[in-house]
Amino acid sequence: MKITDTIRRAGRSLRHAKARTLLTSLAIGVGAFTITLSLAAGEGGRQYAESLISANTDVRELRLSQKQDTGFETTKPQEYSDGTSTESLGGGFKFKQLAQSDIDKIAKVDGVESIEPAYSLDVKYVTRDGQKKYQASTNTFNKSVTQEYLAGNADNLDKTKILIPEEYREVLGFSSNQEAIGKTINLVVGKALAVTPAQKLDIKTFSLTIAGVYKSSTLSFVNSASLQVPAETAKELYDYNMEGTPGYGNYFAAIVRTTENANPDTVKESLTKMNYDVQTAKDLMSTLFSFINVLQGILLGFGALAVLTSIFGIINTQYISVLERTSQIGLMKALGMRRRDVGRLFKFEAAWIGFLGGAIGSGLALVAGTIGNPIITKSLGLQSGTNLLIFEPISIAIVIVGLMIISVGAGILPARKAAKLDPIEALRTE
Amino acid sequence: MIEVKNITKTYGKKHNVFVALSDVSFTIPDGASVAILGKSGSGKSTLMHAMSGLDRPETGEVVIDGENILKLKTKAVDKFRATKMSFIFQSFFVQANESCYDNVSLPLEIANVSGKERARKVKAALEAVELSDKIKSRARNLSGGQKQRLAIARAIVNDPKILFADEPTGNLDSATGDVVEKLLFDYNKQNGTTLIIVTHDPDLAAKCDMEIRIKDGKIESISNHKEKAKTVHAQPSRRRIQ
Repeated sequence: MKITDTIRRAGRSLRHAKARTLLTSLAIGVGAFTITLSLAAGEGGRQYAESLISANTDVRELRLSQKQDTGFETTKPQEYSDGTSTESLGGGFKFKQLAQSDIDKIAKVDGVESIEPAYSLDVKYVTRDGQKKYQASTNTFNKSVTQEYLAGNADNLDKTKILIPEEYREVLGFSSNQEAIGKTINLVVGKALAVTPAQKLDIKTFSLTIAGVYKSSTLSFVNSASLQVPAETAKELYDYNMEGTPGYGNYFAAIVRTTENANPDTVKESLTKMNYDVQTAKDLMSTLFSFINVLQGILLGFGALAVLTSIFGIINTQYISVLERTSQIGLMKALGMRRRDVGRLFKFEAAWIGFLGGAIGSGLALVAGTIGNPIITKSLGLQSGTNLLIFEPISIAIVIVGLMIISVGAGILPARKAAKLDPIEALRTE
Repeated sequence: MIEVKNITKTYGKKHNVFVALSDVSFTIPDGASVAILGKSGSGKSTLMHAMSGLDRPETGEVVIDGENILKLKTKAVDKFRATKMSFIFQSFFVQANESCYDNVSLPLEIANVSGKERARKVKAALEAVELSDKIKSRARNLSGGQKQRLAIARAIVNDPKILFADEPTGNLDSATGDVVEKLLFDYNKQNGTTLIIVTHDPDLAAKCDMEIRIKDGKIESISNHKEKAKTVHAQPSRRRIQ
């Protein structure tokens, strides 16, 4: 018997038992629904994480810090090592910092184009003539962070310029984004080291011209509503603020930019050998990904459980089907149908059930996802257009094919029973 | 030619042995119509099963066209049945849910006949039993006589050499039974197909060329009606209503 004929006959006999077929398929459908959704959520999560990372980092950038002592020993005194500055974080934890000598050393490493310390800026306030003072969170401008400019841009950013988010534009009294461009605002920085009350008032004003107004993004890692200054300005602000303190000239971390032809992984390797802690953009991504994968794994587990339950449903349905069609099987065998073909007929029936279940389940998941995506995006306050459930045709196809294979597996026992039926006995049943 | 040689078939073991067939031998010439006549439990169905290779007797041979089918492997016997034999049963065994076309097409699918050839043969077979207008109807919507005619169409669609009919009129009233009988005998005469009818109805048996009477698993008598057969069809039916 030809395979296509067997498949057609299998499909027809299922059509004749519509309710039973549908119910059995629905059991698998539950599993297919869960699995398809979890695959979609995993894919959506990964794509979202990827967009987060690509909006904030550049593959050529490495985040570098001093290698920390592993296993903090708080009960015993630690040996003092000269040269590296440490910052006490309280509770006996110390964080080793990068010194200028480290920065200079790393700059000479093969494949390193530039190294920029990560300055943690402490600006007292920002203001402008005739306006109130506002607390100012300030960051170093990073050109690998994608941001949308509402007016102006960062193309000619030099040490006299500054970028501000839309929110600051408003409070600083500019009526429109365009109006703010080219205007001057004042950043006021104090001294971290204050010995006497008089010194505490020691402040310096940095007057900077607004070069661009940007739209704060939900994709950004850093506080999105912060003022952005170029690295040179950041260094000046930092140095003024930190001068005289133990932290002066020391940094928690630095951003290393590799040359265009260098492989970030090779650079990471050579820097790790020099005893630094280095993270590439990929490492950052894999941290996020492993989190997503664990979540997805849990969901997949539930789906697998549902499929496991439905396997028994298929076995049961197929056994009943064999019993019901004993005389039909007998006739087919009397007409010379081979055992293998009889078995195959029932296996294909099981495959059809699996296909139906997979199609129903993933179809419903697709509908649920399409309806749910805007709701999820809205309730999580994500940027509109972000989809956390992304359905890949290939993964849906894999789910359906996988379920068909599982169903055939479940159909093996009933199929064997059908193939083994004695035609004489079978034809006696009426 | 079908030669049945010394067939013995027993059921059960040791103390409960039941001998269904005991040393049965006979020869059927090609194209003959043969009745295997006997009461219920006489072993006539077992004999049919043995002759068609559905059952395997302990001893003996069934030689069809020079080949002992009892010595063939299951696969070969299946092929033999698919291409050379056909069956008609008392309770029709048509697939109620399937259309007439699909019912008749089944043996051709099993025998791996190509699609085009299949359509042609199915149409011809349905025409032969005058069911052309029902080609798309479900078998469950047919009357008993129509169902048996459908079963005949299914049996002749593959141009079998041997046609087994197990009580073909047993479930039919006499009028429809006559139609079915006529179909079978006409097919037998026109195509030279060997027709083997298993029955307990002596009237039906009398219409066949040859009559094998079987009792308690043994052959009681074998009679030849060859001369009589020519006149049978002219006579009005003497069948009793079952």
